[in-house]
Amino acid sequence: MINIMRQLKFDALRLVIRNKSFLFFTLLMPAGFYLLFTKVMVVGSETEMHQFYMTYMGSMTIYSGVIGAIFGVSTILKRDRDKGLVLFLQMTPTGSKNYYISVYTITVLLNLCAVIVLGLLARLVNNVDLSLKQSAMILLIVLVGQIPMILLGTLMSYFKTQETLSVASNLIAFPLAIVSGLWWPINTMPDWLQGIGKVMPTYFANNLLEKAMLHSQFDLEDIYGIITWIVMMGCLTRLVVKIQQKKGLRISEA
Amino acid sequence: MKQIISIKNLSFSYSKNEIIKGLNLSVNKGEIIGLIGENGAGKTTLLNILLGLLPSKNNVQVFGKQPGSLIAKQKIGSMLQGDLVLSSVRVEEFLEEVAMQYSNAIPLEQILMQLGLEQQRRKFLKELSGGLMRRVTFAQALLSNPDLLFLDEPTVGMDAQARHVFWEHIKELQRQGKTMIITSHYLEEIQQVASRLIILQKGQFIFQGTLKELQDRHKQTTITITSESEKPNFAELMGVVSVERNSSQVAIKTVDGDSTLKELLLKYPDVSNITVEHESLERIFLQMTKDKEQR
Repeated sequence: MINIMRQLKFDALRLVIRNKSFLFFTLLMPAGFYLLFTKVMVVGSETEMHQFYMTYMGSMTIYSGVIGAIFGVSTILKRDRDKGLVLFLQMTPTGSKNYYISVYTITVLLNLCAVIVLGLLARLVNNVDLSLKQSAMILLIVLVGQIPMILLGTLMSYFKTQETLSVASNLIAFPLAIVSGLWWPINTMPDWLQGIGKVMPTYFANNLLEKAMLHSQFDLEDIYGIITWIVMMGCLTRLVVKIQQKKGLRISEA
Repeated sequence: MKQIISIKNLSFSYSKNEIIKGLNLSVNKGEIIGLIGENGAGKTTLLNILLGLLPSKNNVQVFGKQPGSLIAKQKIGSMLQGDLVLSSVRVEEFLEEVAMQYSNAIPLEQILMQLGLEQQRRKFLKELSGGLMRRVTFAQALLSNPDLLFLDEPTVGMDAQARHVFWEHIKELQRQGKTMIITSHYLEEIQQVASRLIILQKGQFIFQGTLKELQDRHKQTTITITSESEKPNFAELMGVVSVERNSSQVAIKTVDGDSTLKELLLKYPDVSNITVEHESLERIFLQMTKDKEQR
């Protein structure tokens, strides 16, 4: 446990505190989007607008998680692997387990920070008032909803080059956010696109957040959807890691 | 002598290229192996196999276990090619991170003092020169107080002074009884510390033995003299393989330096400016690898 805490301190310093751009993309950008969209899209009654302020806060929280996992986790893991940090840790008695725990924990904590930042903004700018129970539910959903995204980020970190990873991150993150209705309501999209969007993990997480905020009954389909994605991505990640290990660490890190 | 490394008939291929071909090696405690070879000879691949970073079958054992075992990880320190230049990390933070991975780590202050890194401890890794960064990597390898050290081209990027200091440290570690495998392009330096030299070419050992054995096998001495007279026939002297004359300067190459010199002084006492030069490790290495290539 002490080693994990030390590893967390080491990684938090280099990845977050001394890396302002990471903070900008995971915290400030979603906050900026929230302000922009809730001030531009002013259509509907006062009640509808109030609901929109709440649900859009949830969407931006999920979006922050997507950015943190797809741009953050994948880039950090890829860069550290390219530089030889992961390989070095694997040669030591403690191995790389603490490192992975630390990177994932930092990503999740940053996303929880995004919940707090967006929650404060929603309250201060749009008078959104969430109960303690609602806030706890949001934190839990964000935590679970980010798991498939983190696993996806881990898988993407195995792309051969930084350039490929960069292109792939852009090609996945933004379309994923759009089709699953994080930026605009999903019902404004063509049917075929809605069909794709409604099976995305971000859609299920966003739906669960919406229900938590509006005090509605959770839809089991959303819960099963997320679980399916976690299992699927977990198996895929395990498979890729096994293939890499079989090749030998040095070759897989090359 | 306690055996630390055992390799029996090791081969390794990658993408249909056979990089290592049927190697056999045994390394005992306290030995320093100088592993020499051209680029691409398989030196780094061999070290990677011993570190457990590349797969091997049961024919490789380090501390009596498979490479990459927990015991081996605890007892091995390595300084591989390419330094861990992590951005936004200070020297002391990096070394603390390394120390954290070992239960038997040397105190940070001690290692900083030993390697003269106290002034650099608050500097960011990316601010260090290549030579200083190499020193930090050496500190990283020593932090776990290892019994076995793998040093892959350790002095690349170091200036002459830093290289001298580095080899002094290696000699100190040698006195402490550490076992080491060192690869280096600076052959004259490696011969000072290596108790055994291994020449690797295209994945095969073409020589294993002491420096003396290597020199004996390829013993060639060059005797340079000044002789004003054109008359003497130096080629007739015992052991001479070639004679090159450049006005009064004569270079006599012989496989039996002592006998040639004795006969030379007896027969031609008027020769002057005599210098005797033994074949350098570098020239032997170049000759050996060239010979093997031509076969």
